[in-house]
Amino acid sequence: MNWRRIWALTKKDLMEFTKSKYVLSAVIGIPLLFAILMPLGTILPIAKANPADFEGEGLGGFIDNLFSKTIDDWASLSMHTQTLIMLAYAMFIVVLMLPIIIPAVTASETIVGEKERKTMEAILASPITETEIVFAKIISSLIPSFFATFISAAGYIILIDIMLFPFLGYLLFPDFLSIIFVLVFGPMFSIISVELMIMISTKVKSVRDSYQIGSLVVLPLIMLIGAEMFSFFFNTVLTLIIGLAVMLVIIFILFKFATNIFNREKAITKMI
Amino acid sequence: MLAVEARGLTKDYDIKKDGQRAHLRAVDNLDLAINKSEIYSLLGPNGAGKTTTTRLLTSILQPSVGGAKILGYDIVEDASTVRSNVGLLTETPALYERLTVRQNLEFIARLYDIPKEDIKPRVEELVDLFDLSDKIDLPSGSLSKGMRQKVAIARAMIHDPPVIFLDEPTASLAPESAKIVREQIMKLSKLEARTFFICTHNLFEAERLSSRVGIINHGKLIAEGSPEQLRDLRKDETMTVFRFSVWDDVIQNFFQERHYEVLEIKPERKSISIFINDIEKETPTIIEELIKQNFPMFEVRHEYPTLERIYLDLVQSENLPRNQEEESS
Repeated sequence: MNWRRIWALTKKDLMEFTKSKYVLSAVIGIPLLFAILMPLGTILPIAKANPADFEGEGLGGFIDNLFSKTIDDWASLSMHTQTLIMLAYAMFIVVLMLPIIIPAVTASETIVGEKERKTMEAILASPITETEIVFAKIISSLIPSFFATFISAAGYIILIDIMLFPFLGYLLFPDFLSIIFVLVFGPMFSIISVELMIMISTKVKSVRDSYQIGSLVVLPLIMLIGAEMFSFFFNTVLTLIIGLAVMLVIIFILFKFATNIFNREKAITKMI
Repeated sequence: MLAVEARGLTKDYDIKKDGQRAHLRAVDNLDLAINKSEIYSLLGPNGAGKTTTTRLLTSILQPSVGGAKILGYDIVEDASTVRSNVGLLTETPALYERLTVRQNLEFIARLYDIPKEDIKPRVEELVDLFDLSDKIDLPSGSLSKGMRQKVAIARAMIHDPPVIFLDEPTASLAPESAKIVREQIMKLSKLEARTFFICTHNLFEAERLSSRVGIINHGKLIAEGSPEQLRDLRKDETMTVFRFSVWDDVIQNFFQERHYEVLEIKPERKSISIFINDIEKETPTIIEELIKQNFPMFEVRHEYPTLERIYLDLVQSENLPRNQEEESS
């Protein structure tokens, strides 16, 4: 692998992203909506509500079971605070959708966009290999997603802590779960999302088609995030190890698929 | 060693036609032998197979049958070396419109592994050459069509390749820019032994630039040779033109009495021309007689069939059925 070529292609893509209104609005707008506006609109009204309105029979066995494994003083918290914590974790899943959604936009733009604008031919005529192209496209699609996810998660964590500190008396986030999901699972989901988009890109001719098919393909990934998170609540270490192993295998298999599917012949003939 | 050598080069595409899978033969058994520093033009109508031929020879596509070598490197087995040794001007400039001219050129330079310290001078050399210095930091999307074409040509030459493939190099260029491009092609070919393979519809350009011309139709090479050799294919169509300041029917009678076939009598603003089937050997005698009879003749010339006429004749008369084998699968 020639890293200079990979970096050249990555750098070019990143320069293009900074000048694309669509990518910029996706990288800035979606995190702002998911990490700030949605939590504010959902959690703030509950935080401002009268705690007496929440007293009753409790959230139920399953919810109690789930959160008592992560929040040490769960049983001693008021129903109002428990509801806020539950919402804080539920909205965190929304933040974790960013590493899936943003790469779908950036990957569509950089791969299908190249085909649509016919700029791919000059790249294909150069000595860069197909694997290097796929690698560069994965990196360039991931970088905006990493930044957007980390900044959004940081913003979300600060926002939740500001809203919940008066009720809890300590900072809810960052906890082990949020760190693992933002720093480990998030990037892995991003890589899977980009690899899927690369495979889609060989089948479609326009960025619009790519977005449409891509939005369907990322749905199972979003469900997977939810599933990972729930199972993580119940069995921390084992789930972490199994989850990581499974995702690494998926990443490897998809990379092989993507590099096999993405070849010069197909890339160019799809442009004709 | 040849710069470009193709033997039986063939490319089939799988296509869908009327819901059925079929094969389309885009390039059919093509043989080429192009010497170093030669300028070779491939002429053909749209869909004749020019672009596919270029993509095969630049190792973007793989042949279905046959093969080719660029500077002795096989287009399949030594694909990476082939790509390092060729430059390609694509059919459309296809630049990154949001990036500046400099960013476009520097990006491609890095893909060709040009040393970091050499990139800036090379980019500046090329933008100077194509008179784009004042546009270097403008987004390429803001440039005119012609300027974008010049950037795309500079991009094809950024790594100083020994073999350069140009698809319609002067399309959309203003006459003065087209002249610069033609001069550069001639200069690089003569002084630096660069080989050019040009796909074009511009017959005038092909005739002026190329040492040899190939005519392709339905994927097959139907004629090849120097412009002179191609003209010889229609040697019988060479005409002798006599131009007179004043017309008189006696002039026409003069030619008819001598059994020369008058092809056309063409009145112009202040003269009239008579086109006779080629009479090269007899021309001096006829001139002598015309002068003796005081005919107001002021010009005699031989008019050879143009490359355009030969090209059109060949393409139109090449009535082979489209070599398209359809196979239901």
